[in-house]
Amino acid sequence: MMISKAEFRGRAELYRLLSRLYEREADQALLDSLQSLSLPEDNDDLKQGAAALREYLASAGPDAVEELAVDYAAVFLAAGSAEGAAALPCESVYTSPRRIFMQEAWEQVCRLYAGKGLGKAEGRADLMEDHLALELAFLGWLVENGAVSEQKSFLEDHLLNWLPAFAADVEKYGRTPFYKAVTRIALGFLELERGLLEGLDSGELSMARSFSVRNDRFAPILARLREKYRVFAPKRFPKRGLKGADLIRYGEIDALTDIVYKEKSHLSAKEVFYPVSQTLFRFTGEECTQEEPADEREIILLARPCDLNAVRRLDAIFLRNGQPDLYYARMRERLHLFLLECRETFDNCFCVSMGSNIALDYEAAVRIDDICALIEVKNEAFLPYFEDEVPIDFAPEFVSENRRAARIPDIRREQLAEITALDYWKQFDDRCIGCGGCNTACPTCSCFDTVDVIYHETSRDGERRRVWSGCMLEDFTRTAGGALARKTPGANMRFKVLHKIFDFKLRFGEEHMCVGCGRCVDRCPKEIDYLDAVNGLSDLLAGKEG
Amino acid sequence: MENIMLPSPHKILSIVKETRAEYTFRVAYEGETKHGQFFQLSIPKVGEAPISVSGKGEGYIEFTIRKIGRLTQGIFGLQPGDMLFMRGPYGNAFPIERFKGKDLVVICGGTGMAPVKTLLNHFYDHPEEGRSVHLICGFKDIDCVLFTEEIEKFRGKFHVIPTLDNSSAPGFETGMVTVHIGNIPFDQFEDYNVVIVGPPVMMRFAALECVKRGVPEEKIWVSFERRMSCAVGKCGHCKINETYVCLEGPVFNYSRAKDLLD
Ligand SMILES: Cc1cc2nc3c(=O)[nH]c(=O)nc-3n(C[C@H](O)[C@H](O)[C@H](O)COP(=O)(O)OP(=O)(O)OC[C@H]3O[C@@H](n4cnc5c(N)ncnc54)[C@H](O)[C@@H]3O)c2cc1C
Ligand code: SF4
Ligand code: SF4
Ligand code: FES
Repeated sequence: MMISKAEFRGRAELYRLLSRLYEREADQALLDSLQSLSLPEDNDDLKQGAAALREYLASAGPDAVEELAVDYAAVFLAAGSAEGAAALPCESVYTSPRRIFMQEAWEQVCRLYAGKGLGKAEGRADLMEDHLALELAFLGWLVENGAVSEQKSFLEDHLLNWLPAFAADVEKYGRTPFYKAVTRIALGFLELERGLLEGLDSGELSMARSFSVRNDRFAPILARLREKYRVFAPKRFPKRGLKGADLIRYGEIDALTDIVYKEKSHLSAKEVFYPVSQTLFRFTGEECTQEEPADEREIILLARPCDLNAVRRLDAIFLRNGQPDLYYARMRERLHLFLLECRETFDNCFCVSMGSNIALDYEAAVRIDDICALIEVKNEAFLPYFEDEVPIDFAPEFVSENRRAARIPDIRREQLAEITALDYWKQFDDRCIGCGGCNTACPTCSCFDTVDVIYHETSRDGERRRVWSGCMLEDFTRTAGGALARKTPGANMRFKVLHKIFDFKLRFGEEHMCVGCGRCVDRCPKEIDYLDAVNGLSDLLAGKEG
Repeated sequence: MENIMLPSPHKILSIVKETRAEYTFRVAYEGETKHGQFFQLSIPKVGEAPISVSGKGEGYIEFTIRKIGRLTQGIFGLQPGDMLFMRGPYGNAFPIERFKGKDLVVICGGTGMAPVKTLLNHFYDHPEEGRSVHLICGFKDIDCVLFTEEIEKFRGKFHVIPTLDNSSAPGFETGMVTVHIGNIPFDQFEDYNVVIVGPPVMMRFAALECVKRGVPEEKIWVSFERRMSCAVGKCGHCKINETYVCLEGPVFNYSRAKDLLD
């Protein structure tokens, strides 16, 4: 396995941030930056530390900076406390028998820093070299400039050897939850690092490699890829869209120039691995025979971050809701997800609000422009295709701002009756025509109908297919005899909105279903704006509570 | 990996005509089913639909089907010896362990008697496991009455109130099931459960009537009928907010069912 440059950059940044937290008292800018911090949650220390930090920040009053300065002084500088009732953040204190400064550990780290030509940074003259802030900063520097073996031995010999004992003291003497939370995060992060570095050291993990490919050199690479893979990306279908416009949807590509990268696709990537219509089995006389895939090749799907994040949502439904679905599972196994970088935000995108602007779980990432394609390869199975190209330093970037934003209401389960009864939903009754276009365009809509097809009237043979369906279609809840569970377009809209921003998360945890691609807004022939519907609900509920 | 969408053929052993529009099909089947579960039945080239198990015995199960649309019509065209395609059983079941040693009230309407019939037969065959059983079963008119023989049989051990919506016939009361709920001696029960199955409107009013008469919501059990395409948590048709009726239902305790708003 390979890990990406973006992840390496993220690691170094987190070391620097932690270093800053221990270096001196927090100021408002630091607290603000913590508000939007996103942390890995791979172990309990990280999870609980992050939760405690969030909780503290959410309830922090105007004098938080002052409160934290007092806490910092008491815990880390032993101000105003009797001997020993503090957590002095220097390695020597924790590793020397008499708990005093500038012992063996201090000498060792001084030598290590000097060996790299590093002195103490400006403004840090008052800190010992084995101060936690400097050790963390040094490891951050090693992440970007040093060998894995150096990182590993420094982590083990000079941080993890004393941090647990230090953390126990912070837990004991800390006056606010803030430094306790920060220290748990540091501990959890270093544990995570230990695992990562072990993997890197043993060769199980390696650093992703990036290449620049001139557009005219791409054809032979694609030809070689296509021997083993079918390659799908957003493609233009002239005059096939609404009102005779071009339609951009995912399709198999023959050339780099097929890829439409300057516009948002009208339909999502899901049709590549969850087809609009799919034969489940064929009947011949008295037997049902499972349909096998026509093309055994694996699939490379070059998709936007929102679409990649949407795959996880579809996985939840098809693989984890009850027993797994065979047709989906076997498509999914053959699927290789490549990231198609978004260089700009498009109309109606609000991926940042949904946290789906960033996708890191890709096997390769691609940036395309008129001259060349930049490719970061994380799955080494794809390295042979690119090794002859020009190596460069490239990691994909992600959109960090959209022109529109979602205000996701914080709904409690007990509010459902009240929300269901709102007159708010009636505004859609006259406007929505139940065409289901929004469901079709959505990367996370997964519903289907099963239909039986006969090849001709007298034929004994036929097949059962499943075809996309959608909750906005008038008949979606119709039962025999004609009764409808949800009777109006407004009721359907309520169902859809709540599914996308409330009950999917309630059921599966972690994340909302909607990834904020805005395609449903783009698509609606009646100009019904789903994002306005979400924000309107949010405002209505906020108004009611306030 | 098991293919959860693939049905297998089962032979129809016999067909009993209950009413003009409702037949009971006995189908060869080996395997366990729990009270209240259903199968996806299908005829190739016609379609597929969820149907409850209405009876079971050595080597067979039974379905009582109402002819109402495409597939059900198709099934009515089959003969003994023909194949019915099935996958299942699906859904949860009535919590029979919680019914043991307690009084049981069953209120059902029309085809709604099908999913509770194996439950009734269980307590008929094992009276030592339960206490009293009260059954109110409502039908539109005398031509719509299902399971005539078994209702007769149940009279032997249960308190049975068969009723016709707005006509009279010997052996039947008149009026909706709700008007007879007053005849159930709830105050004489130590502990009991109430099972209500039928058309949505009937279930709602019967449950409200019970609650009005002091039955705690936690003692009431209902079985939902929703549009279903897959029965395995994928197609989305049966979903009510975060609940998938095919997975978590169709049987729900009323304290939860009343919050399943749509
Ligand atoms: C858990 C459960 C148990 C049921 N048990 C029985 C039973 O024991 N006996 C019985 O007669 N009926 C039962 N039904 C209702 C039965 O499923 C419908 O009458 C049947 O689907 C009608 O199919 P059709 O093709 O004849 O009708 P059409 O109106 O032609 O229906 C077309 C399609 O709509 C869907 N559909 C229509 N109505 C329903 C419905 N009520 N529930 C689910 N899908 C529906 C099906 O996919 C069907 O193939 C049950 C329904 C559920 C959900
Ligand atoms: S609900 Fe709309 S914005 Fe959200 S993922 Fe679906 S199409 Fe995109
Ligand atoms: S909201 Fe718009 S796109 Fe969706 S069903 Fe209604 S009219 Fe069609
Ligand atoms: S019937 Fe398909 S999800 Fe429940």
